[in-house]
Amino acid sequence: MKSGKKLVYVSEDVLEPITEICRRDGVTISRFIEDALKEAIRLRNLGYDLKRSVDFLEVIRMHRVLGGAFIPQAVLDFMVGRVYGSDREGLLKQSFEAGRLYGRYMRERFKDPVNTLKSFLEVSRWDLGEVEVSSEGDVWSVRCISTVLSAEGTEMLAKFIEGAVRGLGYEILQLDFIRGMITVEFKR
Amino acid sequence: MGVFALREAKVKRKTFVARGDLLERLSRVAEERGCSLYALVNEIFEMFLMAEEANVNFRSVLEDYVAVKRARDSGFVLELESLCYEMADMAYERARDKAVRSWFEAGVWFAKRYTSGLGGDILWEDFKRDLGVILWNTQELEVKRDGDKVLLRVMSPRFTGAYTVLLASFFEGCLSALGYKIDVREVFKGRILLEAIKAD
Repeated sequence: MKSGKKLVYVSEDVLEPITEICRRDGVTISRFIEDALKEAIRLRNLGYDLKRSVDFLEVIRMHRVLGGAFIPQAVLDFMVGRVYGSDREGLLKQSFEAGRLYGRYMRERFKDPVNTLKSFLEVSRWDLGEVEVSSEGDVWSVRCISTVLSAEGTEMLAKFIEGAVRGLGYEILQLDFIRGMITVEFKR
Repeated sequence: MGVFALREAKVKRKTFVARGDLLERLSRVAEERGCSLYALVNEIFEMFLMAEEANVNFRSVLEDYVAVKRARDSGFVLELESLCYEMADMAYERARDKAVRSWFEAGVWFAKRYTSGLGGDILWEDFKRDLGVILWNTQELEVKRDGDKVLLRVMSPRFTGAYTVLLASFFEGCLSALGYKIDVREVFKGRILLEAIKAD
């Protein structure tokens, strides 16, 4: 099928850095533009929101750098069930420390680390039905809701979030959780 | 193929020429979203520039997204690696047989989806591809088939001893579901080598 050509306007603000990238990488601008449009359509066809693409990629890269592993859900549930009763403190400590590491990484790498934490939870935690971040003055609030998280899983996630918030450099004002719901308030 | 042409049409805007079919599809997307094609195209390029600034390859978003979706659809979750090792060690210490069984059964469930090929064939390429996704934290992964034999090799210095044993059990479950029985089993901390042959 022969594709006709069409004209479209592009902001000069955007086109200039693209030109630089193309010059640096040794590709033609037409090739860059065509590839970009094609990729955008493919993502769209997968039902993926373009605006979230960069967030998604950065979260996945964070996992690769800091240590995220895939594990069967059934196995995870089994292990948590077996271990939690006898070593709750140890697991919570691990969750907290991991959270702090991730929080510190977000603080150092991202311009908006609190919303990066939101993206992280949304992308990584498929068991969360809702992740909400809001602020009032200098007080931030994070709320997570899940209909499938166990009581142990909720507590471990709450501990992870507590660690992450500390790693971001914030002070915890309030942390509440019940099975399936976590709310955290914090400020600098 | 698109041909690039610069022509100043308005202040701070430039025109370029691109494939009509791509722009038509994007026009439909823009219409659904209630924005102009100009706005959508600029948004797309802004995303690429953001990725560039973050030093990430935007094109790999697609691959990573599909990979993560596959893992999720396969019943996997993304968990902190250190926590996985810690829990594996403790579960193995406290309830070894049940832990091994749990991982074995997970392997069976995982691999069953690859036995639905035409005529009962095993979807080996899909199996290898998806194993590569869920084991993204390993240094080395090899799945090789030679006639009725299969070799599976995994290496990662980060694995604890218990985690290695449990992961080997997962693979044994996979191979069992695919109709193979273990012939050679070498499992050491951080290293798994399984050779299997087709069961009668």
